[in-house]
Amino acid sequence: MNGLPLLFYAAAALVYAIHFARREPRVGRAATTLLLGAVLVHTFVIGMQTMEVWNAPFASLPRAISTFVWLLALSYLYTELTTDERAMGVFILPILVALQIVPAVSAGAEPADPLLDSPWFWVHMLSLLFAYASFALAGVLGLTYVLQFKEIKKKHLGFFFSRLPSLQVLDVMNSRAVTVGWSFLTLGVIVGIVWASQAQAAAPDDPRLQAFSVGDPKILVTVLTWAIYSFAVVARRSMGWNGRRAAWLSALGFAIVLLSFLPINFFVRTSHTF
Amino acid sequence: MHLFLLGVSHRTAPVDVRERLDFTSRDVGAAAEALCARASTAESVVLSTCNRSELYVVSEDVARARQDLIAFLSEYHGLPTDAFVSHLFEREDSQAVHHLFRVAAGLDSLVVGEPQVLGQVKEAFAVASERRCSGPVLNRLFHSSFAVGKRVRSETALGEGAVSVSFAAVQLARKIFGKLEGRRVLVIGAGEMGKLTAQHLRSQGVGEIVIVGRTQSRADEIARVVDGTSAPWSELMTVLARADIVITATGSSIPILTHAGINSVMHRPRRDPLFIVDIAVPRDVEPSAGDIEQVFLYNVDDLRTVVQENLSRRSAEVQRAEDIVAEEVSRFTAWRRSRGAVPTVVALRERFDAIRRSELKRLDTRLVGLDPDARARVDEVTRLIVEKLLVEPTEQLKALPDEETQVAYTEAVRRLFGLRDGTAGDDIPVGLRPRGSARANDEDP
Repeated sequence: MNGLPLLFYAAAALVYAIHFARREPRVGRAATTLLLGAVLVHTFVIGMQTMEVWNAPFASLPRAISTFVWLLALSYLYTELTTDERAMGVFILPILVALQIVPAVSAGAEPADPLLDSPWFWVHMLSLLFAYASFALAGVLGLTYVLQFKEIKKKHLGFFFSRLPSLQVLDVMNSRAVTVGWSFLTLGVIVGIVWASQAQAAAPDDPRLQAFSVGDPKILVTVLTWAIYSFAVVARRSMGWNGRRAAWLSALGFAIVLLSFLPINFFVRTSHTF
Repeated sequence: MHLFLLGVSHRTAPVDVRERLDFTSRDVGAAAEALCARASTAESVVLSTCNRSELYVVSEDVARARQDLIAFLSEYHGLPTDAFVSHLFEREDSQAVHHLFRVAAGLDSLVVGEPQVLGQVKEAFAVASERRCSGPVLNRLFHSSFAVGKRVRSETALGEGAVSVSFAAVQLARKIFGKLEGRRVLVIGAGEMGKLTAQHLRSQGVGEIVIVGRTQSRADEIARVVDGTSAPWSELMTVLARADIVITATGSSIPILTHAGINSVMHRPRRDPLFIVDIAVPRDVEPSAGDIEQVFLYNVDDLRTVVQENLSRRSAEVQRAEDIVAEEVSRFTAWRRSRGAVPTVVALRERFDAIRRSELKRLDTRLVGLDPDARARVDEVTRLIVEKLLVEPTEQLKALPDEETQVAYTEAVRRLFGLRDGTAGDDIPVGLRPRGSARANDEDP
């Protein structure tokens, strides 16, 4: 069922690429319309699956990725519609397509662990997924900032110069995305800690809950991510790390998130696997 | 009915001839009015910019129109004919369409792709249209030319990239800062170059402009002109610390801003980028300052390179723009051809309807016994038969591919159905009708 949104995202990605190269407003509107269609179809698919198994749309990894893709697409659409800048689509859409492949090829929804049947779980997961979607957006903004910066600094105004928004706009958008992402990451982590300690107290004989520690790879990476983005927020505010350094930091941060979470979730069995 | 264009442009006439034939300095509207009052012209538009004076008219007789237009130019500008006649160029029909579309697209401009000309074309048409000098042909022609200009602007990069040094600087500033509102500008050097650049930036809506010069009185003077303030030379570094855009244009032989000096002002928390344009020769800013994080340093040669790159990128887009022009020209000529078939189509319809009515009249005595309702139905049915018979020929006549075929077909139709010229009232070409009736179908029919 997740294949249909994948098709839509892939089509939108193609049209965004054409728009980026040729810059015809008509093509740009078509791209946005396709993405809007993709999000609607995706909403429907997620809704159907949730009704089918009657648990949260992120209770298994493929479904969590699917929800992440949906949130990222929504956040991107929001930015595009509020700033009227379409150039970032060509960078975001490939991420959406690549990630959406995971739920598209995996089996349908499976019943989830009864342990996860809690409102805490919703807050925990939704906050974290939204935080990572914001970081993805910030990462792409950072990447485009660096590209644009390079062309202006090198005095060679080429391909990207005429297509990307101004450095100032990219920097402000990046700052917002990082701040929003960091806030939700913090919220998600706090809720996770509170929830885990409550669950530990409620079920003292569940071995998985007792094994929670900072040494767990997944938790370790989360702490690392939180540290990087906390630094990004603090450095911008008090050390004047704006512009290119902030851009690099957010691109790097998202690369770490992407490269660590996917392998850990697929190949490493941790105490935090559900 | 022919479309005819006569005029001078920067390609055919030197500036002193263009100046003397210029309409913009006087009342363009009056000129358009005087032109369309002439007997040979049914419709007219006067397009006059600093690079061209062009008269677009619709006329039955091109040779007469040519004479009339030359006489008009001579009378209107008070010039002997031989002072300008050798510089005139002329185009007819689809050639004239092609020319106007190229002009609107910016392809015929001195600086290819410049955007102002489209506005001037629109203005010229608005003036003529206001005075009821344009009719169905020129209305359609000029509206099509606006569409061409718009398409070229949005589908090609013909108008992109600054092609003058000062525009290149402003464009760069926009790419760094986004909107320039509220940005602080520091101009070092109270010379003419500094003043011009400051004026340019002022017109782009920057915030505060501070002039720092060695001669305080001249700095004050420029500050007044550009609506800015001036500061004494000793406060240069203080002003620099708050500036976003710096223009240096002094005659100094040694650098005024050093790497160390700029570095010291950049090391402040939450410092926005600093864009320095060094238009002085010899340079006012140490080149190594460009290596400082968040400092963008451009000198005159850098800006010239940018302009050069933009120009070559524009010329790479020329072919795509020409393709759009060619496409729109053929669309326009197809429209004109379909209009060329209109008199024949109308005559054909009149003829068929005349036959229908005479047959009904002939049968009148036999139909008299029918009740009014049935009679109305007979009338209706016969009318529908005629309509249906004519649908296909009408469409075919309007869609003929070229002029020659059209003449052959219309001739054949006229012969086959015995149509004489003037069988229909509408056969009179639109342009020759009294003014009021031509206005009735001002817009596309």
